[in-house]
Amino acid sequence: MKKSGEELIKLIDIIPDESAKEGEYGLIELASIADSREVRNDDIVFAGTGLPMLGMMTANMLHAPNATLIFEAGIVDGKSMHIPMSVSDQRACYMASSLGGLVDIFGTYLQSGFVTLGFLGGAAIDKYGGTNATCIGDYHNPQHRFPGSGGAGDIGSLSARIVYFIIQEKRRFVEKNEFTTTVGWWCNDWKTGKWRPKKEIYRDTIFADTGPSAVITNMAVFRFDDSGIMYLDTVHPGVTVEQVKENCGFELNVSMVSGETTSPTYKELFILREVVDPEGIFLPIAPEYPSDIKEIIEKA
Amino acid sequence: MLRFRTRKKTEILSLEEAVKKYMHDGACIAHGGFTSFARKPAAFVWETIRQGFKDFHVVEKGGGYTTFMLRATKRIKIEESCWFGWGEMVGKLDVNFEKQFKSKEITTAEYSHGGMSMRLLAGAMGIPFIPYYGVMGSDIYNPECDQFEKEELRDGKNPRIARKKFLQMEDPFYGEGTLYLLPALRPEIAIIHVPKAGDKGTARWEGVSSTDKELIFACDKLILTCEEIVSEEKMRENPTQNQIPSFAVDAIVECRWGAHPTGVPFYYDYDAKFMQDINKASMTEEGMKAWLDEWVFGPKNWGEYLKKLGVERLEGLRVSSTTGYSNKLMRGRVAPPNITEPLSVIKSGF
Repeated sequence: MKKSGEELIKLIDIIPDESAKEGEYGLIELASIADSREVRNDDIVFAGTGLPMLGMMTANMLHAPNATLIFEAGIVDGKSMHIPMSVSDQRACYMASSLGGLVDIFGTYLQSGFVTLGFLGGAAIDKYGGTNATCIGDYHNPQHRFPGSGGAGDIGSLSARIVYFIIQEKRRFVEKNEFTTTVGWWCNDWKTGKWRPKKEIYRDTIFADTGPSAVITNMAVFRFDDSGIMYLDTVHPGVTVEQVKENCGFELNVSMVSGETTSPTYKELFILREVVDPEGIFLPIAPEYPSDIKEIIEKA
Repeated sequence: MLRFRTRKKTEILSLEEAVKKYMHDGACIAHGGFTSFARKPAAFVWETIRQGFKDFHVVEKGGGYTTFMLRATKRIKIEESCWFGWGEMVGKLDVNFEKQFKSKEITTAEYSHGGMSMRLLAGAMGIPFIPYYGVMGSDIYNPECDQFEKEELRDGKNPRIARKKFLQMEDPFYGEGTLYLLPALRPEIAIIHVPKAGDKGTARWEGVSSTDKELIFACDKLILTCEEIVSEEKMRENPTQNQIPSFAVDAIVECRWGAHPTGVPFYYDYDAKFMQDINKASMTEEGMKAWLDEWVFGPKNWGEYLKKLGVERLEGLRVSSTTGYSNKLMRGRVAPPNITEPLSVIKSGF
């Protein structure tokens, strides 16, 4: 699509805010839009590389224009014209309010309590909302070894809310992580070796009541109950509760399902595809727009 | 390690001379920049590998292209880090790290980005430790997972390895819960790639600073590789843009395209395609060996390496002076859109 910036902006205004039908969007798109809806206008968002960026940048074009994005390499409130491939990509620095380094971002912005929303991906998550980015199997003799925490451990323990974006697979949704890289609502007490609620470990700090607020996958949206255990909130259109259960490695609480995830709208899809990631760096090839939407786009 | 610091006499060396003079087997080293995108001292590491130095103790916030290359040539013995992957454009995994971790060729001490940054800050400030709240309750602090302890590296014999990985402490001042005290990082040699350095050592970068500001003062010896050496006078025209004072710099090496295939903001973009090719090669031992023979051991010097890359490739990485990156670089399935103003700003301002 060869459109100028102004044409794209005009199109955002005229493309209808109606729900798209099943088959008119991909699962990554659906999950990215679900991600974007978690962003509030007054949020300061700390996002990891990749898919978390998509949701945040979509939200910035819609309901959360004032939400501020920070990246761990030191970037504060950049206004990207081209989607960054990494949190240190120069593309993320364009028109930033300030540039610093990791000490500023982790030591100051995050640790002093400015970050209201952490946006993270993860290889595996357990029912307490802890994630594993380190290894499968025994730590010293693992079957698989991954890169490890990066900034995820910090973002996940020190942000007010954390939203995860994870692929729904049985092996990725586990009862308890073999290695907890990023803590959820329950974690290890290394003084006693006991498994305890996060609020006890972080007692008397500003992080005592913070933790994962949602997990978004290609099939569903999950949230956490008062005891810090994950439950199924909504299933994506076309997905059944049964299918989600089959792709979950622990006994999933489905007693609080509130219905179906709201489908992405044509407007949201347009922003995601043509404004946020038109280069197709993170998004796979998208299904075609329906003919009436196509017509609107072509006419502009 | 106790030491009073004295000012350094900055010297200008060639790449070959600097590596020969400063590197040695078993050195404790750290690299500036960020992952495989920004200002990694690629040429310096390339020459280090060629001169055969090995058994390094790498301390680094995150990994990236340079640690990938050191692992591919089996030059790392111990590593303190928080991220052992490499290019995000290749899916982050480093197969050689996985192999060498499993075979115990590399012994690691694992922290988080925030933790490693704090450790470097403590190193820079000359204090032995620093408190931090992050990742409490994570297996990162599982005493069972401390490989340094297991391998008896925390016996105090190596002055660059802390005697403990961390220590928990109650806040004695305001009663604000538990914190983890983390030991300072004090690498022996830090190598940072910058765009510009004055001939007396004052230097600057543009774009993100990563943990370079801390690294400058945490290390004992600082080597800068740079795109250009200019007169000290030129650097002093605009001191607010300088981050590195001359007294901290041991050696400067002028090395054009010295961060390739990673990028230097306002100089050149990252070479995603080049790194994707290496990643493919790294999947087999023969593939990696062939790649190293061709690109690391093949060229006679860095100039020959650049000649081999060719004008067309380097021209493709040329950046826009407005944005500091290439607005034309092909990174995904589709060429980048021709946008000259951020759409979020057009739509709703700042």
